[in-house]
Amino acid sequence: MTWRSERIRVALVLGLLAVGHFALRPWLGSPRIAPDLLFLAVLVYAVRTRPGRAAVAGFLIGLLSDSLNPVAFGSAMLAYAVVGYLAAWGKAVFFADNPAVAGGLFFAGVVIRDVLVLLWGGHAAGTTVFWQLALWTPLQALTTAISGVLVLLLFRESLHVRVGE
Amino acid sequence: MAPERFSSRWDTLAIVVCVLLAIAARAVPASVQDAVASAVRRTIAVPLLALEHQTELLRSSRARLRRLVSERDSALVLAIRADALAEENDRLRELLALRDRLGGRAVAAEVLRQSGPTAGLTLVLTAGSSSGVRPLTPMVAPGGLLGVVRSVDPSYSVAVLWTHPDFRVSAMTLDGSVFGLVAPAPASGPETMLLQLTGVPYRDLVPPGTRLYTSGFGGVYPRGIPIGEVLGVAREQEGVSRTYLVRPAVHPGAVAHVILLVAPDLDVAAAFESGGGT
Repeated sequence: MTWRSERIRVALVLGLLAVGHFALRPWLGSPRIAPDLLFLAVLVYAVRTRPGRAAVAGFLIGLLSDSLNPVAFGSAMLAYAVVGYLAAWGKAVFFADNPAVAGGLFFAGVVIRDVLVLLWGGHAAGTTVFWQLALWTPLQALTTAISGVLVLLLFRESLHVRVGE
Repeated sequence: MAPERFSSRWDTLAIVVCVLLAIAARAVPASVQDAVASAVRRTIAVPLLALEHQTELLRSSRARLRRLVSERDSALVLAIRADALAEENDRLRELLALRDRLGGRAVAAEVLRQSGPTAGLTLVLTAGSSSGVRPLTPMVAPGGLLGVVRSVDPSYSVAVLWTHPDFRVSAMTLDGSVFGLVAPAPASGPETMLLQLTGVPYRDLVPPGTRLYTSGFGGVYPRGIPIGEVLGVAREQEGVSRTYLVRPAVHPGAVAHVILLVAPDLDVAAAFESGGGT
């Protein structure tokens, strides 16, 4: 596979996730626990690229998220950029390139994002933050991680995922 | 390889710039934030929201058809008596010298839900300024009040739900004997989303089960929209005031489409002024 065709395939997978995020949203039930496919696209991109690019991609998706959900404008930009940067950096330093470990990365990414959005956003406090972080965030992180692993397995050729290592 | 690939100055510069831009976005005035958010919604988000809108329509079409047929049948029965009631209403208004109240119109809109930890505080709606929606347009569902429109684009608008910490509405009991301010109550459980009625004088007791309605004060919400039902006393300041817990009339998670009370010329106070002297 040439470098160019590889990039096109990865772009197609990321585009599919972005489209799926909006096309499947009404079918996925409560948004509090449904997998966040757009954020998953950021993480999948982040583990394949440099931290700087992942941060910029995260920032732009965070801008989109803040625009559609303008509760604490800027908080998603910060959270997505930081998580994108950390995912790209941490993937190279700490993590092996296999779906199970990537699933853990996706789970941690959602948790860190929610912590940053809630704490830096400053719009929620007390028990609201507690229940979000204690219940809804782990559930959404789990569904997002499972979706992420399925995507990696489904598109392992395009994403160069090593299965069974 | 690692230091060269993952510790470059460009990467550090990129994250620093992104964080600084995010901090700036959080710090700028709300009007600037709304302008930027609106620009994004009007450009790159348009095809994405249109896609979500179409799939939402597809998902809900069958259930809605069944409900529509049922509602149409009920409406037909009511319509038989409506003409007589309207005639009687006109006659009574004429006697009281009152103008027609709440002469605005309603616009239906689909709900496009977003993900993330703040998803339960706002909604994207598929009706915008081209449909006559404006900021501060009240948003209701068949059960009662759901929230208020915050920002408007040509085809979409963003509404704040009653769960938002900034949400406030002036409330009253049906007989108008008790008034207070309704705001979201602090969560006491993962699925507990309640309102609280504050500022009720200590001498006014509101029994559990009492229904609350918008009072019309403030000019944002027309008088008489159901808000919820009193559950009991949450806390009290001895001899000064009581705060009541209120079960909302509408749960935000249960609605797929909403009604926006668009009323460009609506003036609640003016609706009564000609009858004031009688």
